[in-house]
Amino acid sequence: MPSASLGPHDRESFFAAQRRNRRATWRLTALCVLTALAMGIPLTLVLTPLFYAGTLVAADVVTYFRPLPPEFWAAMKDLSQLAVRVGDYFFHNKPLDPQLLAGGLTVLLLPGMAMALALWMAMLALFRRAGVGGALTTVNAREPSPHDLREMRLANAVQEMAIASGLPAPQVMLVDSPGANAAAIGTSPEDARIVVSRRLLDDLDREQMQALLAHLIGSVGNGDLGIAFAVTSVFETCGLLGTLINAPFGPQARGTLWRIVRYAFARRANGSAAEAEAIAALLTGDLDLQSDDIGRFFDTDARRGPIHKFLTFVLLPVFFTNAAIKFTLWFFLTAFLGPCMALLWRSRRYLADASAVQFTRSPDALAGALRNLTQDTTAIPGGIWASHLFVVSPGRDSSVPQDKPTAEQMRLVVGAWAESSSGGSVKSAYTTGDYVRCCAELIATQRAAVAGDPAALARMTAFHRTISTLVPGPIAQRLPDPTDLTAALRGDAAAIARLQSQQRELGRHHQGVQKRTGFQAESMVSFHPPLKRRLRRLERMGAHVDWGAIRKWSSTKVIGTAIGFLILAPLVLAAGALMLLVVAVMIMLNLLFLALWLFAIHAVFGLLGHG
Amino acid sequence: MGVSYGVPAVAIAALLVVAIGVLYNGLVARRNRVHTAWADIDVQLRRRHDLVPNLVESARGYMAHERQTLEAVTQARAQAISAGANVPARASAEMLLAGAIGNLFVVAERYPVLRATENMLLLQEQLTSTENRITFARQHYNDTVLEYNTAVASFPRNLFAKAFGFSSAAMFAAEEHDRGVPQADLKS
Repeated sequence: MPSASLGPHDRESFFAAQRRNRRATWRLTALCVLTALAMGIPLTLVLTPLFYAGTLVAADVVTYFRPLPPEFWAAMKDLSQLAVRVGDYFFHNKPLDPQLLAGGLTVLLLPGMAMALALWMAMLALFRRAGVGGALTTVNAREPSPHDLREMRLANAVQEMAIASGLPAPQVMLVDSPGANAAAIGTSPEDARIVVSRRLLDDLDREQMQALLAHLIGSVGNGDLGIAFAVTSVFETCGLLGTLINAPFGPQARGTLWRIVRYAFARRANGSAAEAEAIAALLTGDLDLQSDDIGRFFDTDARRGPIHKFLTFVLLPVFFTNAAIKFTLWFFLTAFLGPCMALLWRSRRYLADASAVQFTRSPDALAGALRNLTQDTTAIPGGIWASHLFVVSPGRDSSVPQDKPTAEQMRLVVGAWAESSSGGSVKSAYTTGDYVRCCAELIATQRAAVAGDPAALARMTAFHRTISTLVPGPIAQRLPDPTDLTAALRGDAAAIARLQSQQRELGRHHQGVQKRTGFQAESMVSFHPPLKRRLRRLERMGAHVDWGAIRKWSSTKVIGTAIGFLILAPLVLAAGALMLLVVAVMIMLNLLFLALWLFAIHAVFGLLGHG
Repeated sequence: MGVSYGVPAVAIAALLVVAIGVLYNGLVARRNRVHTAWADIDVQLRRRHDLVPNLVESARGYMAHERQTLEAVTQARAQAISAGANVPARASAEMLLAGAIGNLFVVAERYPVLRATENMLLLQEQLTSTENRITFARQHYNDTVLEYNTAVASFPRNLFAKAFGFSSAAMFAAEEHDRGVPQADLKS
């Protein structure tokens, strides 16, 4: 029977926590808007000249075929004179009528801002019906089976929490994955779905599972799906800007644009949500400072024909504009807008935690569930990109010490691997170097097995047979399952996704590097709140947290961190100022290049016109 | 001279009407949520009624000698259904039913074969879930009552709430304790 209700003191606590978090959301939203506006200014300074340059080139082309009315050229001349006067006002401090100044600034800044805003609206309208978390729907999700007791408990727990919250019960889907995690996906409270991994049902007891579901249903009820969608759309817009600039130069960007167009006109189908997320992943991938279409186009090492070289010379300013946009976007996203949105998302997580406490009236349950989850692997295949939707971060949480494989487990793994190779001998003593090498060999063999090598597949099967009997627990779950391998060879997308995530997990363990995925790559601050802070807030609401295993702040650590910050802060500020300077210089050079380019084209057309 | 005072006065009056309308709608929405939450408790109680026959049938095959226990459950269920909308009779009948079901599971402990059957395990899970749902429905009802009472009592709604007929609603726990707990006679 459920426990008796708590007294008024505790009840006030979680309501107060909710109020606090809602106010924090408003503050952080305002901060995000301000940051976005601030980011808009350098972006506009890069985009607007491009816009005007494009207009002028188009005008020149049109004039060549049919002369434009002289009012057009007079207007252009007036505009350029206005721009010069605004420039004089800023750089040479010449006096200027404030009305003229305002008008000048509007003309200079507006096109870029309008373009960015229009793109954002387009992204919102286009992807709204897909919502968030679409990729998770393709990963072998199934209904809870009515014969499995644990799965029935899950279904019942969802219904109970829906009653406690007064919301419609979302559809529950189970994923058979090695990681233990859960997420809420969809567009709105009526349309929401909850994806739970089967492993979670084994790791948590009924109360803890109930608390986790209360967190997810609470977050759905608080409108977090809409907020997640808005955050996604901002990232998508930034990526789209880069893609549009890249489009004339290469197939990759054009492919992305084509997918967007196809998605816009496709009939609503089951795969549309997954497709939407794939597009979003592609767009955000463009934000990385890696080689893209333009980079490849302008690659001086490659051998190209003379026409290509001529085109390279003519289109150089666009290359520079692209570089300027990319750098501006990357810097402002990673340093300012990304962290602001991450903090906003964190406040929603805290709010969902407080909602969970309200529904279950048991802060201990949620605290226990969170503790249990972070002890184990939490990655769900297919959920890598939208990792911010999960209850617990799918990566490693650095605030809590992770269980590494013990020496005994490492020995077993290496021994089993040596056994699985035909004619391999089993040594009694292994070093850490052996384990590392073994992991590397495992990854290579698995890749070969997926590619279709029968010998590799046989070895993986033998290895898995040996290891699953010897080593239960987190190690065994990280290793690939031969049934998955055979399914992947047949083309089963879910099996392939599972294998890929396991490969990444093994590689990560082998390298010891915590990789940021999806959104997290675009922000210095993680979208997931650290476990320690969540537990501390739950403690304030009445949970009993055992801090023994988790390191608490010691005085030496505090002093050390403070000194570190004092030393680093000026360096970081200097680096930031330097970056801003670089951005400004790039914008200036961009303007210069564009002006020269325009002048040259205008002169060419003038000659053509007269000749 | 009347014109210069007339226009702002009309504007202010219009604003007041709109404001009162918005606040009134908020009260109406919250009161409806209270009514819905109350009806939802009933839904969960009826769900328990529906699960009982299945439970009795599953147990009957194994617990042939426990006729009285099974009869008590069936009778309590009939009583609860017949009580209908009569709140005090219904409340005591539901508590009787809860007690009878609990008694049945206590007796079933003595039949390990019965306890282990998949059907029985699932049924037990369903009944545990139903008890939870009833509790959470009451908890949700109390939450909506809290929200409604706060809205009725706080400024500026308290100025006109009484005039429009909004009064505080009662929480669930208070009602049950007022009625007193009847002693159940399961041997009848």
